[in-house]
Amino acid sequence: MKKPTALCLTLAAASALLSGCASYGVRNPSGVGVTEMRADERGFVAGTGIESQDIVTVADRMAREILATPEIANAKGVPRIVLLPVKNETRFPINKDIFLEKIMALLNEKSSGKVRFLARDRIADLEREREMKQSGLVTSNTDPHVNQFKGADFMLTGKLMGTTTRTSQGTSDYVLYSFTLIDPNTSDIVCQKSHEIKKQGLEDAAYR
Amino acid sequence: MKHVRLLALSVVCLAVAGCASSEKRVTPQPTAARPKGDPVAEGQHAIETGPPKDRVLWEYRTALASMRRGQFAEARTMLDSAITRIANVMGSDKDAKKARGYFSAEAKKTFIGEPYERVMAYYYRGILYWMDGEPDNARACFRSAMVEDSDTQNKTYAADYALLEYLDSLATAKLGDDGSEALARAQARAKTGPLPSLKPKDNVLIFIDLGTGPTKYAAGEYKQNLMFRTGNSPAGSAVVKVEGQQIAAAACDDLYFQATTRGGRVMDHILANKAGFKRTTDTVGNAAIVGGAVMAQRRETQTAALGAVAFGLLSKIASASTTPEADIRSWDNLPLFISFASLELAPGQHTLSIDFLDSAKQSMSGLTKTVTVNVVPGKDKVIYLSDKSTTPLNL
Repeated sequence: MKKPTALCLTLAAASALLSGCASYGVRNPSGVGVTEMRADERGFVAGTGIESQDIVTVADRMAREILATPEIANAKGVPRIVLLPVKNETRFPINKDIFLEKIMALLNEKSSGKVRFLARDRIADLEREREMKQSGLVTSNTDPHVNQFKGADFMLTGKLMGTTTRTSQGTSDYVLYSFTLIDPNTSDIVCQKSHEIKKQGLEDAAYR
Repeated sequence: MKHVRLLALSVVCLAVAGCASSEKRVTPQPTAARPKGDPVAEGQHAIETGPPKDRVLWEYRTALASMRRGQFAEARTMLDSAITRIANVMGSDKDAKKARGYFSAEAKKTFIGEPYERVMAYYYRGILYWMDGEPDNARACFRSAMVEDSDTQNKTYAADYALLEYLDSLATAKLGDDGSEALARAQARAKTGPLPSLKPKDNVLIFIDLGTGPTKYAAGEYKQNLMFRTGNSPAGSAVVKVEGQQIAAAACDDLYFQATTRGGRVMDHILANKAGFKRTTDTVGNAAIVGGAVMAQRRETQTAALGAVAFGLLSKIASASTTPEADIRSWDNLPLFISFASLELAPGQHTLSIDFLDSAKQSMSGLTKTVTVNVVPGKDKVIYLSDKSTTPLNL
């Protein structure tokens, strides 16, 4: 056998040897990136978390739907809405304030003054300010002894629910975001809307 | 003469290859955290200056060390950073891919911990959320913890932490909903003893860690098998004393049990492949070099002999370069047992004493902790401590 041929065969064999994969026999060794699914679409893996773009998407949709509610759209005057804390029943810890702040910001942005929000979370600060005005400690443009705090025409609350599946094929999470507009005088649910997101992904084999 | 030269060359190659494959390869591993001075300061230094692949490990360790000192704000920040990393490992990861390769050690991947370690990261973060008056976010953490434990080889042991289900039910009851399903699961999973009665009106919640948890070591021909050493806890339970009340806190879950019942990892299969490759290339290399030396005796096979020796040498080098060692980086300041107790106290200041009891239910000297708390109406007072916590604590 000629030397160059022998050398080539040796190198070829070595390459085959060195290029072997220790992950042989492992399915999807590099994992699978996260994909967003329709809620009714059959998935193959279990879960991923609530992310900021989800909050933006949900808040945007909810803002449009709330403004389209007849009781809001056809209201005489400017309806006042109090935002109640969001209930989180998922497995993902969230900043609940962000949900409502985002909805409030979007509603304010899209409503052009058609709704107003009541800052009940600041009520303690507001009462202190009023007391200072009543005691004469600070000036006031209006009569501080007249109660001018507005009552709520509607109360807006939200709930996040979810289910998770985790197997050797991966992790899949379904999260349902639902928001409810309530008439505090009658307890009628004026508007109840929801948005659902399903995500699934698979981590690298090194982490399984 | 040519034959002698070829034979000598073969012998030299075999000797050199033998040296290359002699197994004194030491894969650098981060040293186990046995802090010599201030564990929190050392941990923070390691987080800031250490390799990124070890960051989560140091965040885990340092967060827990901080909690034992009552430095909950620091712990919160570190656990949030760690959990952000471990919750986002889906898809392609180049370091993890390298770790799966023949010539990179498993320890090259970013450490996120085995399932029992990830569970505990969520558990401690849940405690901190509850401490901040967010039982719903605390419950979310306990649920995420259960998910981390849900992909076991034997489904009997999937999501089988009794305390996590119990805390889910307690948080749910406090949020005004029905936690009975979670409580039933908790009671079905109780292995170390009965769980505390569920009392949603209790406004003082006490989370207690006992002992030193499991650590990892590598075994097997090429240290490719990940194994666990059991931890140690002289204290088997605790008792909380305040204003004439005594509330028992028995161990609810055992982390060594959790570590060892998870079953095999996919990485174990990969490491077994690596070990097989290492063994085979070593054997083939030896055979090729010896075969080449034999073939060198005859003029007509000398060229082939050269090829065989060269191939054998390459095979031996490949074998020596293969790294099947298991990653034994451990969250090594975890407890062995986790425990819980609760009681109701009126608003105001109270001083609690927590005694740690041995297997004979006798108080162990030198371990008693004193905690002063200020209970406020409408918010649970959450106490975390360990038999290793500093004392006294003012919460």
